[in-house]
Amino acid sequence: MTGKRIITLVLIIAVLALLAALPAVVSRDSIINMAVLVLLYVALASSWNILGGYTGQTNLGHAAFFGLGGLTTRLLWLSAGWSLFPSLLAGAGAATTLALIIGTPAFKLKGVYFAIGTLALGQVLNVTVGDMFPMITSLPVQQLVSYQLLPRYYLFVGLAVLTVGTAYVLVNSRLGLGMMAVREEEEAAESLGVSAFRHKLLALVVSAFLAGLTGGAFAFYHVGYYPQFLFSPVWTFDALMMAYIGGTGTIIGPIIGALFFVVAKELLALRLVEIHLTVFGTLFILVVLFLPGGFVQAWASIRRALVRQLGARGVRLASRRQAS
Amino acid sequence: MRSRISVLFVLVFVMSGLLTACGSPTAAPATQVPATQAPEPTDVPKPPTPAAIEIGASMPLTGKYGALGAMVKPGYEYAVADINAAGGIYVKEYDAKIPLRLTIYDDESDPTKAVSKLETLYSDQKVVAYLGGAGSDMHAATSAIAEKNGVPYCGVAFALWQIHQQGYRYLFSPFPKSPDQARDVYEILNGLPEGERPTKVAIFQEKTDWGIELGGLWKDNAATYGYEVVAYEEYAPRSEDFSGMILKAQAAGAQTLLAMPSPPDGLAMVKQMAELGWAPEFSLIIRAPENVTWGETLGTTGDYITIFPGWHNGEKFPGVAELNAAYQAQFGRPADLLTGPAYACVQIFADAIARAGTLDRAALRDAVAATDMMTVVGPVTFNADGTGNVLNPLIQWQSGKLELVWPPEQATADLLFPAPAFDKR
Repeated sequence: MTGKRIITLVLIIAVLALLAALPAVVSRDSIINMAVLVLLYVALASSWNILGGYTGQTNLGHAAFFGLGGLTTRLLWLSAGWSLFPSLLAGAGAATTLALIIGTPAFKLKGVYFAIGTLALGQVLNVTVGDMFPMITSLPVQQLVSYQLLPRYYLFVGLAVLTVGTAYVLVNSRLGLGMMAVREEEEAAESLGVSAFRHKLLALVVSAFLAGLTGGAFAFYHVGYYPQFLFSPVWTFDALMMAYIGGTGTIIGPIIGALFFVVAKELLALRLVEIHLTVFGTLFILVVLFLPGGFVQAWASIRRALVRQLGARGVRLASRRQAS
Repeated sequence: MRSRISVLFVLVFVMSGLLTACGSPTAAPATQVPATQAPEPTDVPKPPTPAAIEIGASMPLTGKYGALGAMVKPGYEYAVADINAAGGIYVKEYDAKIPLRLTIYDDESDPTKAVSKLETLYSDQKVVAYLGGAGSDMHAATSAIAEKNGVPYCGVAFALWQIHQQGYRYLFSPFPKSPDQARDVYEILNGLPEGERPTKVAIFQEKTDWGIELGGLWKDNAATYGYEVVAYEEYAPRSEDFSGMILKAQAAGAQTLLAMPSPPDGLAMVKQMAELGWAPEFSLIIRAPENVTWGETLGTTGDYITIFPGWHNGEKFPGVAELNAAYQAQFGRPADLLTGPAYACVQIFADAIARAGTLDRAALRDAVAATDMMTVVGPVTFNADGTGNVLNPLIQWQSGKLELVWPPEQATADLLFPAPAFDKR
């Protein structure tokens, strides 16, 4: 095992230990609640990144999978009386089924047309669900009284680990290499025997499954909302923005993006009530304008620059020594 | 490359500066008034007097309900300022008058963010009471959190009755609900001479929970009051074409229109009614015409439309004139429709805290439930489900102005009836 891998492994274990211990260290529900939102968005942005970042297919209908997972889970868990985990799996299954159904026609579209097509899918489901389920879904009083944030928190920890882990395994596999080949140059990939359609469909299915699972966890977490809310485009665009802020096509990018997006936005909202969106919007524009590859690319640039500077200094020192 | 790196450092610097140096985490602290000792001494050892009574609100200051939140927020702020100007609230437990401190957060009209903000108010600010925002879905999320945390919650700007039927104990709303609106419209129409009553009713029901609830109640109540529903049409929110519904109502000879559209739908609906030449003698269109842009956009076409807004600045209850004067000084117009009910919420909490004599949330909840007081929205008591027994005024657009037309003892103008054809307005 190389030194870099050991450091990565240690870091992962440290982060997991920190996440596991957080509720014991922090007693304030507001912090745990913010952590839940960060983990939710880590899962959602990472699931979007599998198709959008690694396969290069800009999916603007991600909310459809999130929403379908959430709607199915909530109906089965709250209305039909199923236990949680079968409901979650059914929700993820429903999202996956939708992905399989729309995959074939959707991937006949390319580039911006695929983006518009998926956006339309999300909007169609948004309106349809609004018409079909106009009533608010709220947790019954008995459940509210016994509502515990901790199980929800750990569910989201597990979900974030599962999503990031899946993305990691996938992109380090032969399938992942195929997905990235499709992203870089579809025709070239096809000419080398990589089936673009198969890889895109697989990415869509995995992405939808994880988004559906995230939607299901959200349905378990949230106390009351209109079912249509789950299909709001905000779930797509927030996930997309986080992936872009952090860095698309990387494992760490959506994690950093979600952390920045949720924490910065929340802190600004708490401190600059009247102008928080203006300030956050400005920050976002600055990031997109000046760091087009997101924070991950910026960090890589800094590291390269530091290495270059240190290298140059070393060379100067060495030549001085030689001269003296 | 260097410029990118410097921009990154600037970003980090700006962020850290913003997050650390923006002052206290309380977003909108009310005027601080030092706690003043009440004159009567006591022998019982008192707990240390808190510097302020913390109350908090998460409300939509931006997003789709931003316009509603903008009307609610000043109501809370004026009420807190007025109470603090009088020295605060006397709390027996501390034998002292304590000022209120109001923290307001923007939830961006997003129920998830609203939940997060209420959790922050609960665990960080330790609020003893929540003030609600606006919009049924926002109240559905936030009132559930209030129930979970056991914090008394006062919400206005929603007429959905169903929220109150879930067994919540901490939810209170001094605001008219669907059953009031479904009853009062027929009561008002029955105040007209018998031969002139527009008894044939068309109901345009929006396919939302409130639409289903209110439309159903209007339909159910019609026969009881001697009215006949000749057209009951449903439509999805954000519809653009209402002509089919309008023509059906016109063909059925409907004289009264009852509807609850959102602003864009309501504008389109009335424009198409004018184009198709269907002018009901009486139109009650709740919600869309509440927006000040109604008169500006529709001109005389928008006249004669009536609304149940929950409150009007022409009401003659104590404190309304002062509220209007303060609002006029700050915004150049009398108080907005939701400002009065918001003000009343703070009055109710202040009264309940004084009666409870403690800042214990459960005791405060019981005191709110037992409310029987005069506010800027008139006398308020609460039913067991948290709905308020409050006045449900009817207002009407008259020559581009909103006039209070019912009840008669509060009216600023007479109800204009019947409405003439659109081209004769």
